[in-house]
Amino acid sequence: MKESLSRYERIEAAWNLEEADRVPVSPLNCYILAYQGGISIREMFHEPEKFIEAVVEARKKIGEGDQEDPNITTLDHLSLRPKSGWDQVTLDWRIWDQFPPEGNIPSFYEKCIIEDYDDVMERGFSTILFNKKIYKDVFERSLDDFLYYEFEYPEIYAKAWRKFVEEYEVPLIMGGRATIPFELVLYYRGFAQFVQDIFEQPDKVKDMCEFVLEHEIMNALKQAMIMGAGEVPGAEKIFFQAGVVGPPYVSPEVFEEFVWPTLKKGVDMIVKRGFKAHVHTDGDMTSVLPVFKDIAKGLPKGKVLLDFEKTDMKKAKEVLGDKVCIWGNVPASLLCYGTPTEVEEYCQKLIRDCAEGGGFILATECETPWNAKPENVRAMIDSAIKHGQY
Amino acid sequence: MGKLSEAIVALDKEGVLGAVKEGIHTNTDPIQLIEEAREGLQRVGEEFEKGNYFLMELMRAAQIFKEAASLINPKIQECYKDITMKGKVLIGTVSGDVHDLGKGIVATLLKCRGFEVIDLGVDTPEQVFVEKIKEHNPQVVGMSGLLTTSIPVMGKTVKAIEEAGLRGRVKVIVGGGVVGEVKTSDIGVDYATSNANEGIRVIENWIEKE
Repeated sequence: MKESLSRYERIEAAWNLEEADRVPVSPLNCYILAYQGGISIREMFHEPEKFIEAVVEARKKIGEGDQEDPNITTLDHLSLRPKSGWDQVTLDWRIWDQFPPEGNIPSFYEKCIIEDYDDVMERGFSTILFNKKIYKDVFERSLDDFLYYEFEYPEIYAKAWRKFVEEYEVPLIMGGRATIPFELVLYYRGFAQFVQDIFEQPDKVKDMCEFVLEHEIMNALKQAMIMGAGEVPGAEKIFFQAGVVGPPYVSPEVFEEFVWPTLKKGVDMIVKRGFKAHVHTDGDMTSVLPVFKDIAKGLPKGKVLLDFEKTDMKKAKEVLGDKVCIWGNVPASLLCYGTPTEVEEYCQKLIRDCAEGGGFILATECETPWNAKPENVRAMIDSAIKHGQY
Repeated sequence: MGKLSEAIVALDKEGVLGAVKEGIHTNTDPIQLIEEAREGLQRVGEEFEKGNYFLMELMRAAQIFKEAASLINPKIQECYKDITMKGKVLIGTVSGDVHDLGKGIVATLLKCRGFEVIDLGVDTPEQVFVEKIKEHNPQVVGMSGLLTTSIPVMGKTVKAIEEAGLRGRVKVIVGGGVVGEVKTSDIGVDYATSNANEGIRVIENWIEKE
């Protein structure tokens, strides 16, 4: 079927709450690109040009979504200064030569990094960045190695992606990534300690959230500039990640009191500096949807998107449909263990519930698992074409 | 419900510790105190399952319980010498997965409910599960994992337990983010859930039936 709009125009229409030629589709592909593209995680993280070749190869197998995730983590994972706090603290950077990995893909560390809020707020953010507990490899690497990954590698990486976007006319899902302060502080403290803080020193948690916000947002904007924001379609979008910030992890009350203030403030900072905010949520945010009504309050139209994992999408459309574009939520388990027919049925229902009037992007819940069946991801993309025509 | 249980349900740490100290001061049977605290914790679990409480509250209740128990337990040891645990559970995050949070919550809750818990940590190889079953002889083995790729690993671990001739000796429960969406028969386990409190309830039922 011939399509009348470019991929970027289709995505932009959805952000602007307008109907395009069809519903845009955008699985959040990460390690699956390396796996299906036939390279190792090590190659994915060290050889940008090889990674791009793998992306092209993978798209032949899993289908061609309307956007691609440049996996910003790989942009600066070996630098120090501009790294997102989330990468710094939570990921286990064991990089494997083989795929499927014998061990894990990079995964969460769950341990206490910040021992004293006041100390960090007094001595500054470098106390977190230069911390052996977070990243012991940092202290074992050479200066040359650092300088390369600090200054040269991000340029090489951005250039490779720019070439991909231009050659294949596929916009980027994001140019930079930030983590919502509440979640970041939770990782810095560890879940058990953080729970105690919420109940025993709530004001310190709030102060710390305010303290990390600006650093985190500025870092993401810097990433987006390196990726070519304003020139490379999609690089102007900041993926503002909110994982463990709502039900079933925290109550709606905690969300409203501790999460929302810096979440909204962060979105405002992103948009007021000329970027767009892709707010990614995990968990089931259905009970806090009314709070999200104000996510784009005071901002120009088309600058904010809400991405949902386990949230009731029909309800999200009802509550937020006239406010912001919504994104979601084909389950990871369905993509791994379901059939193409089951995926198609799920997508058809999502389109029926959410697509009317525009403002909906058919996407995965969180990321596409690396072991998702290619035919299932393809079924998702085909569903947008088959059932998503406006 | 007594004052102590109610304070736990209200997540009122000062109230809980106050009630425990008062109980100890007035020579209340320490077993009665610990059971009352457990009753409160159980209520919190029920509220979690109903969707009225969240993981953070569940964790908080367990933390408060632990503090209360640290005051009560010495008294129990003073009064009752041969107190037995409810049962023994071996728990670990499977090989290839380093997620600790869910497993940690379940381990904490199990301890609070009176189980002896052997925590194998994260990224636990199949053979370690096998060896530790031989060593500790638990009634239940719990495997945790957040990643979709952990699900076949759980199946492999069950197979290793089977091959070692130990499967008949233990019930196997698996838990984690997407685990509740998986058929138990596909990976040879007795129960699969994404809900920590449901998992605890299932384990309690198994042990009670023994």
